[in-house]
Amino acid sequence: MKTDAAVETSYLAWLADLNVPADKLLPVIREYRTGERIFHAAAEEDPRLSELLPPDVIRRMKTTGTRDNLRRLYNLITEHKILSVTAVDDSFPPILSEIPDPVSILFYQGDLSCLQHRRISMVGSRHASYAGLKAAEDIARELSSSGIVIISGFANGIDTACHQGCLRGGSPTVAVLGCGLDRSYPTANSSLRKQVLDNGGLLISEFSPGQPPMAFHFPYRNRIISGLGDAVILMEARIRSGSLVTVSHALNQGKEVFVYPGDPSSPYSEGNRQLLREGATYFTTARDILADMNWLDNPPDEVQNSDCSVLSKARNETETAVLNCLLPGPRSFDQLADTCGLPPAELLGILTMLQIRGIIESVPGKKYQIIQ
Amino acid sequence: MSNQMAKVLTFGVSGVNGFPVQTEVFCVDGMPMMEIIGLPDTAVRESKNRINAAIISSGVKLPVSRVTFNLAPADIRKEGPSFDLPMAVGLLIASGEVSPRDDFDPDNTAFFGELGLDGCIRRVNGVLPMVISAKEHGVREVILPDGNAREAACIEGLRVIPVSHLREVIRYLNGTENIVPEEPVAFEQLKREASCPVDMAQIRGQSAARRALEVAAAGGHNLIMIGVPGSGKTMLARCVPGILPPMTFEESLETTRIHSISGRLPSGSGLMVTRPFCAPHHSASVASLIGGGQDARPGEVSLAHNGVLFLDELPEFSRSALEALRQPLEDGIVSVSRVKRQAQYQSSFMLIAAMNPCPCGYFGSSQRACHCTPPEIRRYLDRVSGPLLDRIDIQIEVDSVPVSAITGSAAAESSAVVAARVASARSVQYERYRKSALFCNAQLDSNSIRRFCVPDAEGSRLLHAAADSMHMSMRGYHRVLKVARTIADLAGEETISSVHIAEAVQYRELDQKYWR
Repeated sequence: MKTDAAVETSYLAWLADLNVPADKLLPVIREYRTGERIFHAAAEEDPRLSELLPPDVIRRMKTTGTRDNLRRLYNLITEHKILSVTAVDDSFPPILSEIPDPVSILFYQGDLSCLQHRRISMVGSRHASYAGLKAAEDIARELSSSGIVIISGFANGIDTACHQGCLRGGSPTVAVLGCGLDRSYPTANSSLRKQVLDNGGLLISEFSPGQPPMAFHFPYRNRIISGLGDAVILMEARIRSGSLVTVSHALNQGKEVFVYPGDPSSPYSEGNRQLLREGATYFTTARDILADMNWLDNPPDEVQNSDCSVLSKARNETETAVLNCLLPGPRSFDQLADTCGLPPAELLGILTMLQIRGIIESVPGKKYQIIQ
Repeated sequence: MSNQMAKVLTFGVSGVNGFPVQTEVFCVDGMPMMEIIGLPDTAVRESKNRINAAIISSGVKLPVSRVTFNLAPADIRKEGPSFDLPMAVGLLIASGEVSPRDDFDPDNTAFFGELGLDGCIRRVNGVLPMVISAKEHGVREVILPDGNAREAACIEGLRVIPVSHLREVIRYLNGTENIVPEEPVAFEQLKREASCPVDMAQIRGQSAARRALEVAAAGGHNLIMIGVPGSGKTMLARCVPGILPPMTFEESLETTRIHSISGRLPSGSGLMVTRPFCAPHHSASVASLIGGGQDARPGEVSLAHNGVLFLDELPEFSRSALEALRQPLEDGIVSVSRVKRQAQYQSSFMLIAAMNPCPCGYFGSSQRACHCTPPEIRRYLDRVSGPLLDRIDIQIEVDSVPVSAITGSAAAESSAVVAARVASARSVQYERYRKSALFCNAQLDSNSIRRFCVPDAEGSRLLHAAADSMHMSMRGYHRVLKVARTIADLAGEETISSVHIAEAVQYRELDQKYWR
């Protein structure tokens, strides 16, 4: 890493810490081009700068522009190999300076060039159902295998499943963080972070190094998640979920929004159902998305898994009966016992056989489902 | 009056065993005072006031004399108020107020009982071990509070004289009143009165859990249930005493002894015939679970001896309490050591544990959303340590039953039907292990598993496939074999076939889902 890049990133981090609204900051960056020049302009009390920024910002520039503060930022930046890009750079994702409440400075780790590919943003709750997590991972994997970059928010739950699915599908994935890139948040995802970077992916944040993950950061960074994608997919959201904030950003930004219907009785997808009632586009497979986006030139490696092929794996009539019960979706043990009319001991045995052969799996809540 | 001396036999309790105590009373002319020697505790030392008042209330006027009570042997601590009656009787004889009839045999008659100030005789704890010890020492007649009579009448070959007032005792000894001995209580008759508060027939749905309980009861396996709040875990657990095989006389004696010394027997009850069900709250301390206190009292694990110990909200129990369970689970006995006393209590129980799948309780629920993050769930599950889980053979998941299923479905099998199948599976095991020191499949160790749990070719192929696909540990593998042995016993088959293995595998699946 070039030292001067780290110095410039430190100046930009200092600038980002001032929390100047983008509409005020963008003209300053256009005028001076680099953070370093802005810093010196502030130190020399450049009259042009006072025209562009209100006096209290100028004052704060002086109080925070100390050697110690800059050194602290410089150390964080070199330690974590953080890079930066501003709205005047060629590599800056153009879309982010066009959205309402635009972004002027971005910090990142990894490779910015993965934003050149086709991109889909996937969002959903941290508290997700098992089925939702599984669906998110599968759809991300299939999209990724047809060359699409998945963008998500790196949070627990659906976000993590999307990143993991994307990595498994072979495309790089982009994580938009709600804190400084030096912070390991959420802690459970530290190994995922390494995987993202090792697979040519990207971690980005508009928050300067050292910024903690504050609650209000997250709805704010959601506009970047929706802004970076060509379309936005909502996997699972409850009625007051942050994912719905992302969806409304997406609609304001004029993005296509796809909503996964989820299980009609599941409390985890109340938000999805509300959006669908309001007329959102629904989808159930990765192919639906590709078709709607006119991206079918490179179809995904879908697992061939039609209903009949599952049934053909059955070795006897009872197995067929059990699989038939499971075709509509996950079923509890009691439901299976009632529908198939088998004694519990026998049913348990059949379920084990099917599990060992990899046809079904058991999920929390004493339920069984066909492996898709 | 010059000096007079009397000896009366009684018994004390140490641990779960009784020991004979010779109550010697010595009266001599002098300043009126009473002294008790022979290592009495506070309750015994206070008895002189009760004795004095009770004797006066019975209408007897004591001569002015100096009285010394000695409780021999003098080197064992005497506890509790059961010495009141023998001491009072001794004093009455020594002072000449009572002249026992000719057939009174002081060496073969034992007295127990607490006195009230009005002369009434109250029931005491620990009568069963005292009576058993009395019989071993050749005692033929016991005179004790009527609240304890039924308990003592369960021991054959003893005349049990129930008394409720000191006046009755005086008249009985003088031969002016005859008291009808308590009818001996036949164990078989008590057994007919056995009842379990919850019957399997009351449980709707839950076919998988019912089956798992049956298997657990048939092999004596410990069991853990994971499920959302309100899924019926507690009710399922409460059924278990009712489907376990009926208690034998020996088992009943062992269990009643422990309950007797802890004062847990209801007044007027005989031997316990229903297997105990102990459900300590999760705030329980190590001492209350395992046993302890100054005088090394038995804990919940011993009260649950030959029965069921139910630990609801398992992860909420303190770590030290859960770790302390490992010894009784392994050995079926606990040694409780305190500075003043050491005791060994039997504690061979069936452990049934229940827990929620996550801190909020709704992980995996189809009806409500869970609020927990994966690390929170991880931390919650990790509170149950591996070594404890290793001692639990059967793991099941319980989901709540929708209301429609509760009202709609027909009545299920009753406990009696299930208990019959369990009993026959147990008798198969009893026959098989007669030559070894085992009683049920749960006690098999890895050596005996290799000997007794050999699946047929198809079964072992399946087991290996399952072990591979589910990443089973060696311990998990052994547990599946043990449970498969029980399932085969339930089916009345000697060889373990693939069907049995396939079912047994389902009782380990939580290892994959939760503790992986």
